[in-house]
Amino acid sequence: MTRLIARAAALAIATFIVLGPLASLAVWSLAERWTAPSPWPQRFGLKYWNRMLSADFLEPLRLGVVIALVVTALALVLAIPLGYALARLSFPGRAVVLLAFLMPQAFPQLPVFASATREFYRWGLAGTVSGVVLVHLVGGLVFAVWTMTAVFRAIASELEEAAWNLGASTTRTFLSIALPLAAPGVAASALLVFLYSLDEFTGTLLIGAPFVTTLPVYMYTASQGYELQIASVTALVLMLPGAVLLLALDRFLKSEYLVFFGQL
Amino acid sequence: MWRLYLRDVFYTLGVAATGATLTFAVAIPVCGWLRARAFGPVEFLLKVPLFVPFVVVGHALRVFLSPWAPGLAGSWTGIALALAWKHLGLAALLLLGAFRAVDESHLEAARNFGAGTARLTKDVLVPMSAPSLAVSAVLIFSSMLASFSIPLMMGRGGGAQMLMIDVYYRFGQHGDFETAAALGVVGYLMAMGAALVYLKRLTPREAAVTQLKRRSLE
Repeated sequence: MTRLIARAAALAIATFIVLGPLASLAVWSLAERWTAPSPWPQRFGLKYWNRMLSADFLEPLRLGVVIALVVTALALVLAIPLGYALARLSFPGRAVVLLAFLMPQAFPQLPVFASATREFYRWGLAGTVSGVVLVHLVGGLVFAVWTMTAVFRAIASELEEAAWNLGASTTRTFLSIALPLAAPGVAASALLVFLYSLDEFTGTLLIGAPFVTTLPVYMYTASQGYELQIASVTALVLMLPGAVLLLALDRFLKSEYLVFFGQL
Repeated sequence: MWRLYLRDVFYTLGVAATGATLTFAVAIPVCGWLRARAFGPVEFLLKVPLFVPFVVVGHALRVFLSPWAPGLAGSWTGIALALAWKHLGLAALLLLGAFRAVDESHLEAARNFGAGTARLTKDVLVPMSAPSLAVSAVLIFSSMLASFSIPLMMGRGGGAQMLMIDVYYRFGQHGDFETAAALGVVGYLMAMGAALVYLKRLTPREAAVTQLKRRSLE
């Protein structure tokens, strides 16, 4: 009995702490009128959700999806061969290559983005979509290279050796043995990169300003202008990818791939 | 210039220390309890913040706190609260992993001597997973030092600022790249101090796993 009460209490407290802030986003997104002293909105309505259908919301969404698709495609094109090489070949500096892909993540990111922006100004990339794609690619490649290396490591190399023994070329072995076996891993890697790019804020804010607006930047601008409802609607939309990842991570990524991470 | 920003350096250290303390003050007893008696729903809830983007956390905590406690959101307490909320997920992930690595026989021995969950956590789980705990603390502390989106979204009152906010305004508003870069280096040095401990304790493999989990949705 006491155990049941303890569990119920723990669940109630955890629900309040974790879901409270998220629920208040929902309340704010529905608040048509909420003036200061009142602890609760005076009028609820869907006015701000309807604004979602307007161009100033849909355009950042569309742009963000396009950027994320391009970033994902580029990251995979680079990471699949690189991951395969890192998993199968031993060449001098292999560990350095793997670590180099972690470096941008190990330190505060903002100063890196600031210097990148300065360089990008010189090359005419600041404030352009290509600039934002490039900066997302730096972060996206970290996920892609490390997952792809782990994925190829998880595939038994005996299968490829068998194909070679039967006379298949290296390319053919890769295309018809390794790549199909790696397909679920490729999907997981693509998902990670896509969602990372969709939610990326800091790099987009610095490199993209003032012309490239994706949803996180749109949300920041709205909240700076005290349009808290608009920002809350956007925040709820931005949480969707995370929810997808929360479910997908359990499915694809949890066990076998993560085990191989970082075996340099 | 240094006189101007020295205060912000200490402010940043203070906010990160408060945030990390808060995170662990919640995560240690809860994870100890979850280790002693598994309870899926609470464990699931604890991991939710891991999957909420930083910008969204900043805004959510701002709108959560402002109607009840106006002025709290932009203050150092508000920022520390938001940082603690976001890092609860990571702390839970790391602590549960460490606590679950403690062999069941130790727990049973302690229980036979009449230890309750609280004593089990304090006298068995925490001492036995001290190295992983230290590493998690360093990781979370340095991530809080480098935080940018959360303080930015919480609003910028007067007075002291987080270091990364200074970097942003120096560079973005004033175009003063040199000062921004210098402040960035200060940030690096602070992270480096933390990273030294981190590298000394962790094998590369563990390091990569935790890094990836940490960065999974920033």
